[in-house]
Amino acid sequence: MHKIISKSATNMYEQIYRLVKDVCTGISEDCLTLLKEAKEKEKNKTAKDILETMLVNTKLAKQQQKPVCQSPGFPTCYISFGEQSNLQDIQDSLPKAIQAATKDGYLRPSMVHPLTRKNTGNNSGIGIPNMEYQYVPGQNYLQLIISFKGCGAELGNALKIFTPAQLGKKYTGLKRFILRAVIEAGGKPCPPVAVGIGIGGQMDVAARLSRKAVSIRDWRDTHPDPGISNLESYLLQAVNSLGIGPAGMGGDTTALAVKIELSHTHTAIAPVAVNFHCWVARKGGIKIFPDATIQRIF
Amino acid sequence: MQNVQLMAPVTSNLTDLMIGDIVHISGTILTARDMAHLRMKEYLSERKQLPLEFKGAVIFHAGPVVEKVDEKYILRVIGPTTSIRMEPYTRMLGDIGVKAIIGKGGMGEDTLAALQRIGGIYLQAPPGCAVKLAEGVKSIKQVHWLDLGVPEAIWVLEAKCFGPLIVGMDSQGKSLYQEVKEKALKKMQDMFIKTVN
Repeated sequence: MHKIISKSATNMYEQIYRLVKDVCTGISEDCLTLLKEAKEKEKNKTAKDILETMLVNTKLAKQQQKPVCQSPGFPTCYISFGEQSNLQDIQDSLPKAIQAATKDGYLRPSMVHPLTRKNTGNNSGIGIPNMEYQYVPGQNYLQLIISFKGCGAELGNALKIFTPAQLGKKYTGLKRFILRAVIEAGGKPCPPVAVGIGIGGQMDVAARLSRKAVSIRDWRDTHPDPGISNLESYLLQAVNSLGIGPAGMGGDTTALAVKIELSHTHTAIAPVAVNFHCWVARKGGIKIFPDATIQRIF
Repeated sequence: MQNVQLMAPVTSNLTDLMIGDIVHISGTILTARDMAHLRMKEYLSERKQLPLEFKGAVIFHAGPVVEKVDEKYILRVIGPTTSIRMEPYTRMLGDIGVKAIIGKGGMGEDTLAALQRIGGIYLQAPPGCAVKLAEGVKSIKQVHWLDLGVPEAIWVLEAKCFGPLIVGMDSQGKSLYQEVKEKALKKMQDMFIKTVN
């Protein structure tokens, strides 16, 4: 499973370029497995056909080495590091690799000034890619997860600062809010989706957690906290019972996963962010060890 | 449920097509997203000539990935973007002769009314299926307003059996998305009534 992809001290840029190209021309294994399972179980004929088209498209993209979706979405990089990690090299290489992959036709130039809407033409720009750093004491490797998340999905996102009472008995208020967001989003976020939910902190923390939940976790995993794991299972089943289906045209397959990440919060509030990830899961990760060994983690 | 081949530009009303029908399109397809719609609106309000003809047109909410080889644009992949952003412009599109819109996620009440008025349809393309959909595009014929950026320009595509597309909204005032949403809301209501009991 954990493939060593390089043992030579080839440059960081080259490795990251390869990762970006690979990530954009396919979907991650967790998503692919769940998509195949969903297609087998789907009872609605149109929905089954749409899921089949998605699987065919994924296969064609790999065969032809083309972007699996025309929109590269928005790139975010999750980096965790220890005392010995060299961050400079990776920080310099990431934007360069993204710009080169754009020039080579693996990413559409989609980054624009937020107000003038002027396209930079090569996916460069202020804050592109978004970098999220985490220091892990004692970690002897540098970990990079890169995620290109589609932006049609962003149009369905929701955020609310709940009061403690609004969460409701058995979290009924919370559940209603999430299901309502799924219904309002309908076909817009390219279902089947993964729903990322961030709870806690203040507004910024909840939003960041909601993106992280669907970007770095395996969509098939189980949350270590049994209470949260139960809530994830309940929500996944509830979302899929709504009948929204692939592309929002009806069916049993609305979500492939629901992932919740938490942070403690202030006693007065309970911020909740709901973040949709389209079915096109373009995410991948590597570990870089001090001897320059690079291991692909997914 | 019908399975229909449609030629574009479209020369007649599409009143025979119903939600759930499958459509493949051959002929000319024009891409347009937010910025192209905005500029079209500007041009029309200033009575400026649009750079191309929209009579019978099929508009595709999409921005392609293209390669430039010897001054010529080659399509790599193309797929639908979220249509609801273009909701404010469907009436305008109807006024200049547009007959069909391809996109994803469906559109709202104004579009449904416009489709009824013009005998038009809204077609759902399989989302995220850009390589599959590109197989139905033979070539890029022209590009207009490239200063808006690659995704937002108007790309004139020559299509052959482009699809599969599903009629999501028809000229009879029916929307598959609306039907799905109403059922989902009802389902959610039932869920919480049960919880209380």
